[in-house]
Amino acid sequence: MSKQITISNLTVGYNNDALLSNINITTNSNQLIAIIGRNGTGKSTLLKTLSGTLPNISGSFNVDNKNILTLPETKRAKLLSLVTTKPESVNNITVKDFVSFGRYPYTNWLGIGNKDDNTTINEAIALCNITELSNRDYQTLSDGEKQRVNIARSIAQNTPLIILDEPTAHLDLVNKIEIFKLLKTLTEIHNKTIIFSSHQIEYALQACNEIWLINNQEINNYTPTQLIENNLLNEIIKSKDIIFDKTSKTFKLQ
Amino acid sequence: MTPEKNSTFLILILALSISIVILFGLDLFLGSVNIPFKEIIKILFTEDATKKSWEIIVLESRLPKAIAAVLCGSALSVAGLKMQTLFKNPLAGPYILGISSGAGLGVAIFIMGLSFLGLSTVDLNSFSNIGIVISSIIGSTLVLLLLLTIINRLKDIMTVLILGVMIGSAITALIGIIQYFSYDTQLKSFIMWTMGDLSSITNSQLSILSPTIILGLILSFIISKPLNAYLMGESYAKSIGINIKQTRVLIILITAILAGSITAYCGPIGFIGIIVPHLARMLTKTYNHSILIPIVALLGINILLVADIISQLPGSEKSLPINSITSLIGIPFIVWIILKNKKISNLN
Repeated sequence: MSKQITISNLTVGYNNDALLSNINITTNSNQLIAIIGRNGTGKSTLLKTLSGTLPNISGSFNVDNKNILTLPETKRAKLLSLVTTKPESVNNITVKDFVSFGRYPYTNWLGIGNKDDNTTINEAIALCNITELSNRDYQTLSDGEKQRVNIARSIAQNTPLIILDEPTAHLDLVNKIEIFKLLKTLTEIHNKTIIFSSHQIEYALQACNEIWLINNQEINNYTPTQLIENNLLNEIIKSKDIIFDKTSKTFKLQ
Repeated sequence: MTPEKNSTFLILILALSISIVILFGLDLFLGSVNIPFKEIIKILFTEDATKKSWEIIVLESRLPKAIAAVLCGSALSVAGLKMQTLFKNPLAGPYILGISSGAGLGVAIFIMGLSFLGLSTVDLNSFSNIGIVISSIIGSTLVLLLLLTIINRLKDIMTVLILGVMIGSAITALIGIIQYFSYDTQLKSFIMWTMGDLSSITNSQLSILSPTIILGLILSFIISKPLNAYLMGESYAKSIGINIKQTRVLIILITAILAGSITAYCGPIGFIGIIVPHLARMLTKTYNHSILIPIVALLGINILLVADIISQLPGSEKSLPINSITSLIGIPFIVWIILKNKKISNLN
C-alpha cells in the first residue's frame, strides 16, 4: 500500500563537477528522513538537486512514479515544497499572507484564492502553532517563528513531499526540538514524506525513521538502530576528541 | 486582503486620481503665456477659442506635454518597481539595466555622427527629432538584447545586476569619447537630450507612445503574481511553481518597453523610478504587486505633473530641464529614507 520514493543513478554537483555520483536509494514514503554528513559533503547540493533548484547532472528522482526533476515548475510545485535554512526577508507582509504563498500553485492569475484555499492556510497555521502570529508583520518575528511560518507555508502548499535544508540551523534548543516534533507529527499524522538535512544527529536518531548518511562521497540509507548498532557514526567523525556512545545514544567528549 | 486594507486602497486610488485631475488642469493652465482657465476648458471641450494662438498653445504644446508627463510618470515608476523586485535591491530603477545608457549611445552616435556627414541638428529640426527617437530605440534595444542573451546563462540575478551596471559604465565611457571628438553645437544638442524634455513630443508621437505605455502597464499588472513570488527569492519562487527564466525575460522585456520608449521620446528622466515605489510601499504597507502597481502608476503621474509644473517656472518666460527637477526632488528623498531606515536591507 505504502508508496515509494526512488532515487536512481543520480549524480549531483555544480557545473558538471560531480560531488555525489550514482546515488541509488529506494525507500517508503510517509517517513521522516534526515540527511547527515560533515560540512561540505554535499547535503545542500543534494537537497537543491532533489528540489529542482539546481539542475542534476544525470539520473532521476521519482515520487509517485513521476520523475520530479523533469516536471515543469507548476506541476512539481504540487508534489514538492521547499524550506531553506535562512528564509528571505520580505517586507510589509503579514504572517497569514506569507503562508498563503503556499497556495500559489493552485490560485488564479492574480494569486487570489477561494474559501478552500483560506481553510488550507488556516489549518497550516494552526498545525504550526502560530495562530496568534497570523496578523503580525513577518519581519518582526524571531528566527524560530520565521522558520515555523516557512514550514506552515510549505504545508499550505499541500505536497506529499517536503524538503528542508537545515531547518534548525539558527534556532535555540527549544525551537530546534519543537521543529523536530512538528516534522515528526507531519509524517505520522498528515502522511507527509519529509527529507531534511541536519547536524542535530542525536535528535535525528530519536525522531527519524531513516537516516541518509553521506561519507566518503557516498550516500547510504540506514535506520537509526542500524547506525547505532554498527557503530557507523564513529566512522564518519574521524576525530579522537569525540566518540558516539551506544548506550546513551549521545556524543561524548574524550 | 483585510476589509480595512481594502478600503485604504480604494481611498488612496480615489485621492490620487482626483489630484491627478487637478494637477493636469494646473499643468495646462500655468505657463509663460497667460490663458484664462475658462478659455482652456473651452478649447478642450468645445471647438472655438477667443484667440487662435491660445488654441495652438493649448492643443499643440501644453496638452501633449501634460499627456507625456502622465505617460512618463506611470511608465518609469512601474518599471522601477519591477526592477526593485527583480533584483531585490531598493536602489534599482528603470535604468539599472543600462537602458538609458544604451539609448544615450544611440543618440550620441546619431547627433555627433550627423556632423561627420556635414549636417547639423540645428538645421534639421523635424528630421533630427525622429532620428533621435529611432536611434535611442535602437540603442536601448541593442543593450537589452545583449543582456537577454546573457541572462539565461546566469544562475544568480545579482550577476545580471552587476553586468547591467558594467555595460552601462562601458557605454558611458564610449559616449565620453564621442563627446570629446564632437563640436560644440552637437554637444549642446546631446546634453539637451540627456536633460530630459517633455515639450518636444508631438501629437503624432503620442499616438504611438500612448498605446505602447498602456500595453506595458497592463502587462505589468498581469505579471503581479510572479512578481509577488519573486519577493521570496528565486529558489522559493521556483518551488511554488513560478517559471523563473520565463518570468525574468518577461519582467525585463516589459521594463524595456516602458522605460525604453519613454527614454526615446523624452530623454532619460531620473529618480522617479526609484522613489515612487518606496513612497507607494510606505503609503500602502503592502508587498502585493496587484495593489502596488496601480498605486505606483497613479503616484508617479502625480509627481511628474508636479515636476512639470515646476519646470515651466509659472509666471516666467524660461523653463528648466525636467531631469534636474526630478533629481532635486528625488535625491533628498532617497537620502531621507536611507537615514530613516538605517539599514538599506529594510527598504525593499
